[in-house]
Amino acid sequence: MQMTAAEHEVAGWAEAVEAYFERGWTDGLPVVPATADVVQRFLAAAGRAPGDVVLRETTRRRTISAEKVAINAVMAGCRPEYMPVLLAALEAMADPAFTLHGAITSTGGSATLVVVNGPIRKRLGFNAGGNVFGPGWRANATLGRAIRLITLNCLGALPGLLDRSTQGHPGKYTFCIAELEEENPWEPLHVARGLRREASAVTVYAAEGPHNVLSHYGETAEAIVVALADTMACLGSFSPGESFVVLAPEHVQILARDGWTRARLREALYAGARRTVADLKRGGKLAGAVAPGDETEWVHRGQGPEDINIVVAGGGAGGHSAFIPSWSRDRNSLAVTKEIR
Amino acid sequence: MTIKILDPTVSAEETAGAVVAKRVGDLDGKVLGLLHNGKINGDRLLELVREQLGARYRLRDVVVIHKASASRVAEDTDLDRLARECDAVVTAIGD
Repeated sequence: MQMTAAEHEVAGWAEAVEAYFERGWTDGLPVVPATADVVQRFLAAAGRAPGDVVLRETTRRRTISAEKVAINAVMAGCRPEYMPVLLAALEAMADPAFTLHGAITSTGGSATLVVVNGPIRKRLGFNAGGNVFGPGWRANATLGRAIRLITLNCLGALPGLLDRSTQGHPGKYTFCIAELEEENPWEPLHVARGLRREASAVTVYAAEGPHNVLSHYGETAEAIVVALADTMACLGSFSPGESFVVLAPEHVQILARDGWTRARLREALYAGARRTVADLKRGGKLAGAVAPGDETEWVHRGQGPEDINIVVAGGGAGGHSAFIPSWSRDRNSLAVTKEIR
Repeated sequence: MTIKILDPTVSAEETAGAVVAKRVGDLDGKVLGLLHNGKINGDRLLELVREQLGARYRLRDVVVIHKASASRVAEDTDLDRLARECDAVVTAIGD
């Protein structure tokens, strides 16, 4: 397999790590030096030739080959067998519905949340349990980091240049979780989004940071829904965009015990996550002064219950779920799901 | 022992055949295009540009196009119309 990436000779391993910093090729953390023999192993694991086109971004006029994906995956610390997950995530990000150029440029500062579903979660060691958004699992950490390195190195999304995030958020280093399907009494995410249950899949979502939804004393479904909907209605992230709700096992067990279905939950969250026009104006979310009638006119988060994606993940103890707002304030960027092949 | 690391970057592709439009010396008798990118206040900024240029030149016409979203690139039909009808185009972002 003939590779075309330029090679740079350096004195040794430690010098290579420094060379990446000097050339501006890292996310600010040290990377694993990518040498040709290791990159070849990654391509072989993916069954891809170096020149295979993985992603085209027409606004930035970039074409990303399998070789460049593999190089960045090595740098991120991935194992070769993660390549099919990474390739599926990039395929999803290339879907026009995701609006890749806008999502990685905007002052809104989104990160690409990757949710992994299906049998591949366990085979590759993706964490869906305790500390699911936190450190400690190579598959989650390096898969999400590879996405960021590709965004930086292959799409030119350098801070201050083609990434104009006002603040960004910590998920821009890495932001990858798996779903705890075994604790989901309803359909897991990939099935809800149209795939077979036995399929492995990734869902990508241009996301703000997660908001904690603590409801420790909420021992009924109604109490949990109140806390979730209130968090979803927070002014800072309020928009007609999509939502991800990542339910803790404890919370979803109470919802299921009380006979709630996924459909009922989504309808209740849509109904509850709302603000008055007066609130939106007072908070600078809408232009203009508060007018007669604004106090009784309501606006909902999202455009309907179907805009709310439900995932189950987290540790067995603790009433902590999460609400993750979309970066997109409307229909400009939507979550995309692709099967891992 | 030396090692060789591979370049992880991808450069922007050259746009084959792209040429810069002819510059206009002034805007007297010309059609001005204004492309608003959809961000807050971008339209107000462009309105000020229209006023300033309108005071300085005898514009024949002004074509105003609003992109539906700042996150998405302009529609081909809008860019084609600007290219077809205008002698000069100003675009701006607000926020």
